[in-house]
Amino acid sequence: MKDFFSYTSELFDPSRVKDKPEALKGIRVIDFTHVIFGPTASRVLGTYGAEVIKLELPFYGDLWRPATYWGRYWKHSNPIWHYVTQNKYFVSIDLKLPEAKDIVYRLAKDADIVLENFAPGTAEAWGVGYTSISKINPNIIYLSCSTYGQYGPMRYFPGWDLLAQAASGVLSLNGFPGTDRYFKLPDYLGDFFPGNLGSMALLMALYYRNKTGKGQYIDLSQTDSMMRALPHFTYQSITGEAMGRVGHTDPAMVAASIFKTRDARFVGLACATEKQFEGLCEAMDKKDLLQDKRFSDYLHALQEKNAEELRSIVTDWVKTMDCDDIIRLANEKGFAAAEVMDDKMVCEDPWRRERGSVILFNDDMYGELAMAGPSAMLSKTPARTKWIARPLGYHNRYVLMKFLGLSEEELDTLEAKKVVGTFDDKPGLKPPVYYDLEKDPLYNYGREVAK
Amino acid sequence: MSLFKKKSKEKIYTRYSGQANVHAWKGVVERLSNPEGTPDVLDDILVLDVSYGNFSGIIAASLFAEFGAEVIKIEPPEGDPCRKMTPYGRNVKGVGIPFIFEGRNKRYMTLDLQNNPDDRETFTKLAKKAAVVIEAFPAGDMDSWGIGYRQLSEENPGLVYIAVTPYGQYTTKAEEFRTFPDADITTQTGSGLSAQIGDLPSEPEPYNWPLKAGMWMGWYISGLSAALGGTVALMHRQLTGEGQMIDVAGMDAYSSMTGFPPSIGYTWENSRPRIGVLDFILYPYGHWKCKDGLVAIAAPRDHDFRALLKIIHRWDLEDDYRFTPDRIPDIIEQAMYLHREIEKETMKETADELTKRALTYSMKAARSKWRGGGVPIVMRVMTPEMARQQKQWEIRKSFLEVSDETLGKFTITTGFAKMTESPPKVKWISCDIGKDNAYVTEKYLS
Repeated sequence: MKDFFSYTSELFDPSRVKDKPEALKGIRVIDFTHVIFGPTASRVLGTYGAEVIKLELPFYGDLWRPATYWGRYWKHSNPIWHYVTQNKYFVSIDLKLPEAKDIVYRLAKDADIVLENFAPGTAEAWGVGYTSISKINPNIIYLSCSTYGQYGPMRYFPGWDLLAQAASGVLSLNGFPGTDRYFKLPDYLGDFFPGNLGSMALLMALYYRNKTGKGQYIDLSQTDSMMRALPHFTYQSITGEAMGRVGHTDPAMVAASIFKTRDARFVGLACATEKQFEGLCEAMDKKDLLQDKRFSDYLHALQEKNAEELRSIVTDWVKTMDCDDIIRLANEKGFAAAEVMDDKMVCEDPWRRERGSVILFNDDMYGELAMAGPSAMLSKTPARTKWIARPLGYHNRYVLMKFLGLSEEELDTLEAKKVVGTFDDKPGLKPPVYYDLEKDPLYNYGREVAK
Repeated sequence: MSLFKKKSKEKIYTRYSGQANVHAWKGVVERLSNPEGTPDVLDDILVLDVSYGNFSGIIAASLFAEFGAEVIKIEPPEGDPCRKMTPYGRNVKGVGIPFIFEGRNKRYMTLDLQNNPDDRETFTKLAKKAAVVIEAFPAGDMDSWGIGYRQLSEENPGLVYIAVTPYGQYTTKAEEFRTFPDADITTQTGSGLSAQIGDLPSEPEPYNWPLKAGMWMGWYISGLSAALGGTVALMHRQLTGEGQMIDVAGMDAYSSMTGFPPSIGYTWENSRPRIGVLDFILYPYGHWKCKDGLVAIAAPRDHDFRALLKIIHRWDLEDDYRFTPDRIPDIIEQAMYLHREIEKETMKETADELTKRALTYSMKAARSKWRGGGVPIVMRVMTPEMARQQKQWEIRKSFLEVSDETLGKFTITTGFAKMTESPPKVKWISCDIGKDNAYVTEKYLS
């Protein structure tokens, strides 16, 4: 039998991903969502082969298109928008006009999934909510994403990731105890985590529909989603105490904290078992700690006072060591340790490049961009990036003519009435300056283009 | 603390609220709010969770269990080490609180796969009937015991086999770090999360160090990624009968969930510093002290910002060139100056008063024909204990009071997604080691 790692490296070979089948091929998704929460739910489906038609307002587009980190654009696009909008079809129609609604209804007839994250009530009021779409397509799966949910007294409260972090308790948990500083989870995790839960709920609904033929409506609140990951409620009900903030430590694991090394780097370290703690003691050359009553068993060593004393012992040791040596010892002796990785380190990490969890994607329009790979590697139906973000309305002709069979004249009329449209001359919306859209066969679908 | 002291007509803070099909919508809400007795999507799916010392396996298994799969947690007689991972060592009869929290709809069986060849044989028999196996041993261990994906899939080609480790099942590094253990904190540091959370570099040590998110964000991301990958594989299995192997690496967690670190590292050729309470894209988008705690405020668009200035009575800042229209917080001192100016005003009011003002403003703006009204959003920063008291979650049945013979009474969160046909549900919580040995033997092995 082949050695295990030769077997797996063939099984998961990143260079073969594009030739493998797609699990969600043929699933059509109508995507009204914007910014991060909803678009993440559809992004996951898109990477596994679903056909995601992203609808945006003409000349304006998704709110996140122009909103890049510290205002830094990349080829007139928002570099962090590409990941969440990969593999999507960009159609730009004005939902407030009756002709646009007609287009949506026609698309919905053959669609499998619709998702939206307007303020609760908006989709229903516009006649594109579940009650309207399910009349046209009774077996549709419809996901509404919101901060507090579609029913309950807070349903009309407006919200973002931040408000879900505030309302769920998540924000109150980050920071050093005893200080007046609190920190939100970075980079809109209050959108990304619920967004992934949303795609899981959608897949479950698809699975159910395959079994029973029935579609359904899903109401996903990002506050509910964040609370799913908080054992803090259980902690409070059992101990009668609040867990509070933990600074740079993990009070649930032995010796778990972020430490500063001799070479001024930061390393996260923890022991998951008593055996791993033995390994750490060996690495520190302090095997006497194993006889120490304070640390004699795992639960004991976690008690607040004991944990604090152990942490200060480890702090003193880490101070005398270089980061690389800690990692090497962790691997040798068997405890967990990982350096604090920042953007550039993650981007350039050879392990991630070899694994395919950071890929250098070569796009027809934008050229090369480093992107995150999927968060799970599937051996037979892996996720993949086929294209990245496109200018506003880029796929109008392709989708409306090819999927809906609209004629050139019908399209002209819609454009004249501003039912469909493309981009204004704004970064985030328009193509890169060097790119000649006139020669793009997809943008000009149905027309002759000069080669 | 409740914003809704007396029952009154529902207030609408957004522009569009008329409903096309009121009657139909009422029926939808009726079904959403009554999950009891609804069908289970995965009622024909058997999941074997043999993950060991790694909570992401447990979390993935819970998510399948909530959607109705039969999940058997298999552990050695002394139990999974995860049972002992608990804040400050607090436990109920030796079982840690996170383990209790994730003990959703599960069966418990004892098998010592690491040491006992007979138990491996029993496992092989079980795995023939399983749709999903979840494991977290060092890459290749299960394979060397004859119960890896390669061997199990021969007899059960439809098997979805999920392996969770820090560095995955392939690549040079995965082999070199094969036995490397997993932890939430290393998942957070190693995947790019900790680098982005914490105070400004100008603060004194250790307050300017990278922080750990106060929740197990690393493990919850890996667990969800494993379950999500697994569900995609189950879809493929449903249509083709084919199973597959899934490899989740903890060190990918944050980076692959947000996608930010690689693309920023590449396009900026640099790394972001930690910027404390600020945000890289939006301002104001954070939290401020108020008279009775903290409030979160989001008013990032120009018209939201102007609305905020109105409700905190600081219209004087409106034409300050530093803030209008450029509030991108790339000049930290400038953003922090505005931060302090806003705090001067929020300190004068309670969270409820500020929330009320924002909502009243939004309501007026929504009704106004002038489209530039803005929606300044304010919410009290709640601790989990305060969140627990909110009427919203009572009505949505987001919390469940559990009563278990061994563990006693406690609260968990449930129903993260409300679905009209097949919602996730928690039917019971239990944690006793080997509790279902007889049940499993009778149902699957005789």
